[in-house]
Amino acid sequence: MATRTKDVQTDADELVTAREARAPAKQPLTLPADDPVAFPLQLPESKARLQTPAVGQRATRPDGRLHGLGQTQYIDDLTFPHMIHAKVLRSEHAHARIVSIDTSSAEAMPGVLATLTGKEIPRNSFGPTLQDQPVLADDVVRHRGDGVAAVAAVTEQIAADALEKIKVEYEPLRPVFDPLEALGDDAPRIHGGDTNIYASKVIKKGDVEKAFAESDHVFERRYQTQMVEHVPLEPHASIASWDGNGRVSIWSSLGRITLGREDLARTLELPQSKIRLIGTIVGGNFGGKNEITNEPILAMLSRKTGRPVKSVFTRGDEFVSSTIRHPFTMDYKTGVMNDGTIIARKIRIILDGGAYCSWTGTTIGKGSILAPGPYNIDNIHVEAYAVYTNKTTTGAMRGFGAPQVCFAYESQMDEIAHKLGIDPLEIRLKNAFSEGSSSPTSQTLQAVAIKESLNQAAQRFGWKEWQA
Amino acid sequence: MRPFDYIAPSSAQEAIALLAENGDSACPLAGGTDLIVDLKHDAGTINLLVDVSCIPEFRGIKETPEGLRIGSMVTFGEIMAADVCREMTPAIVAGAHTIGAVQTRNLGTVGGNLVTCVPSADIAPSLLVLDARVTITGPDGSREIPIEEFFVGPRKTSLQPNELLESILIPQDALGKPSKFLKHGLRKGQALALVNAAASLRLDTDGETLVEPRLALGAVAPVPLRAIETEAFLAGKPATDAVIAEAAEIAVTEAKPIDDFRASADYRRQIIRTFAKRVLTRSVEIAKTT
Amino acid sequence: MMVQLTINGELKQADVPPETTLLKMLREYLNLTGAKLGCDVGDCGTCTVIVDGESVNSCLMLAARAAGSEITTIEGLANAQQLHPIQQSFEELGALQCGFCGPGMIMSAKNLLDKNPEPSNAEIRDALSGNLCRCTGYTKIIEAVADAGQAMNSAEA
Repeated sequence: MATRTKDVQTDADELVTAREARAPAKQPLTLPADDPVAFPLQLPESKARLQTPAVGQRATRPDGRLHGLGQTQYIDDLTFPHMIHAKVLRSEHAHARIVSIDTSSAEAMPGVLATLTGKEIPRNSFGPTLQDQPVLADDVVRHRGDGVAAVAAVTEQIAADALEKIKVEYEPLRPVFDPLEALGDDAPRIHGGDTNIYASKVIKKGDVEKAFAESDHVFERRYQTQMVEHVPLEPHASIASWDGNGRVSIWSSLGRITLGREDLARTLELPQSKIRLIGTIVGGNFGGKNEITNEPILAMLSRKTGRPVKSVFTRGDEFVSSTIRHPFTMDYKTGVMNDGTIIARKIRIILDGGAYCSWTGTTIGKGSILAPGPYNIDNIHVEAYAVYTNKTTTGAMRGFGAPQVCFAYESQMDEIAHKLGIDPLEIRLKNAFSEGSSSPTSQTLQAVAIKESLNQAAQRFGWKEWQA
Repeated sequence: MRPFDYIAPSSAQEAIALLAENGDSACPLAGGTDLIVDLKHDAGTINLLVDVSCIPEFRGIKETPEGLRIGSMVTFGEIMAADVCREMTPAIVAGAHTIGAVQTRNLGTVGGNLVTCVPSADIAPSLLVLDARVTITGPDGSREIPIEEFFVGPRKTSLQPNELLESILIPQDALGKPSKFLKHGLRKGQALALVNAAASLRLDTDGETLVEPRLALGAVAPVPLRAIETEAFLAGKPATDAVIAEAAEIAVTEAKPIDDFRASADYRRQIIRTFAKRVLTRSVEIAKTT
Repeated sequence: MMVQLTINGELKQADVPPETTLLKMLREYLNLTGAKLGCDVGDCGTCTVIVDGESVNSCLMLAARAAGSEITTIEGLANAQQLHPIQQSFEELGALQCGFCGPGMIMSAKNLLDKNPEPSNAEIRDALSGNLCRCTGYTKIIEAVADAGQAMNSAEA
């Protein structure tokens, strides 16, 4: 077959000649007979390990060598003899009752070795705070990313084709997408009960109402942040395999392997001593790989088939099925004196809590404590509520609530500065924490460097010159 | 991906025969930067790919008496590297440079971009303002048409069944014509154009009067658009800022931008106005210095 | 179909289904797992390899299309005696964190430096615009590419 370069009648040929003339290697490369190059692993010695002060020392990352060689083994780079592939069928509806699942046509396909539905999971619930999340939905689907069935087949393509043969009958239920709507009396109850609120936090300090009455100005505004997906470059991946002693080994891109092992023990109803969970170098986590996803599914498919089973999320799965950052709706009411001193702050936060709880517990806590901002405010009232919606599960993402509230209090700070005619830097310096300041939850703060940082940054930016 | 067969014929006749024989179950493969993505999503009825990228008639950039002939299977990377394109058709090189990223440009072909025929095709505006003509080859032989006639609608060209795009000709008198291409996207790289635009023109011997003005806009109509009324307005007028500003207003009315999740029609109109001025002004500057 | 290609200077072949991408052939048939699957649609660049002197998204190229070509992958850069200057610079300057973007990034950098030994900052950014990184913010990667370019130039001098 004719190859491209030979047909090109441009000066591309000249380009190739010119490039070869510039080629860097002085000695011809001598490659060993087998590939890839097995590079002798003489890792750079880090002085940080010696008995010298570590701060200020150069510490070369030890994993940099293998990364650069392309020899780091991420989960998808691992293969095992007789390994097969699994795919998960995701819900067609944001909110629906599962009436029936028929996997028989999928099972009959050549190359399909096993299927799995939620009913087969020994204990079909997990979660770090509330165990409200199923491994595979078996009665109700609560968002489009919910898995309803899984298939293991000899190739990925056969597994993907088999998903289309699985017949699921749904009875659609009314979905709710807006967290504020989900608070309403007539909103569908996503997890039953009489409310969609599943977590709350209140922080009170001083007397906000009295302080508002004493304020020279009161600023009120609603701020909202959006869904964010982590997009780790490496998609979620895992492999499960059993040994002759009835022990399952799972290689996973999971970040929290101790917690993962607990979740596996619970969902598979196995003692932890029978579960070996191996985390390796992760290709990006940012909080999205903090809890199990397909691992129990793979364990069960592997047990059924007697083969190692691997699954890798598609990029589409990453957006729809993996966890995302909580959108926050934040109502800020701030009482300020004429000179810019903040004396009161009342905040109400609604967390869009997605279909399942996941890491909302940590997010609501951190978000609430940090909501007033790093400022000395004597009178604070924070109320936060996390509410279920029929959208992608909201979980951990770098900051755990801090970025969202930061957007709100810093935006409002600028608005206050603008309205009062005070320099935005000055108003922050006036209110900012110092050594020994008291946090909103009355923690005495130490090693506080906000003012020094702001001043140094302002100097480097040329803030004064820019303002003039 | 769903299984399919692959064949790489070494002549256009062979390729056409294969496509004719296999109807809906075959399609031509160029660079694959759009087709392979589509096939991964849903192969539809396709079970045979006919790789046309190595057919000799479709390759190469040749200087001929009629002008510069660019094979349909020339990649954007090759266009950017070719000295003759950089010197004689800089607007085409500029258009090629805004497509995707290095890797996509090394696979993606001019022909593929034109045949996929999305309104935002980045190679189209420059070809339109340089009066390009395309050669199509099919079961009944070859034909040549002006490039405006090639674009019929979104993802619809005037290719008949089993016809293939063979080459694009930049006519001799369009080579070296002062021209400029601009693209506006949400990012500098790997971005779909919200608006793209190209202009070409000459100045008369008085160094003032506009001759053969051309303006093309992309992503603001069902197909890449030649702004005919704007061109008619400009022809014979002095190349002043006021004339160009007025021309830009006409260009805004000729375009039919839509609201979509990337931008509003209104925002696109503002870009059209600014871009029309910039590509015309820059072309005038080039004309004055050559 | 039997596909034969030259990879990192060695002739290799495998019998692959026609719809197999070059990326899949490298990873699953030839055990060259340096090139990664990040998106499978040619957006993220983790699959970048060099084919006949040009960097491409191997997830968009059919293995059959690549038959007869010369492919360079990340595995072909170092030899038993030393790292490629780009790998050296990336390591010394701490350019990578999780490392997943590394092979693709380094191949794009190699493609750039082979053609343009002294690229400007803007040229480096343009050359790497098809390679995404979620960890680093790109600053050290760009520094490492510039640094490698200088090292490669002084090696020739």
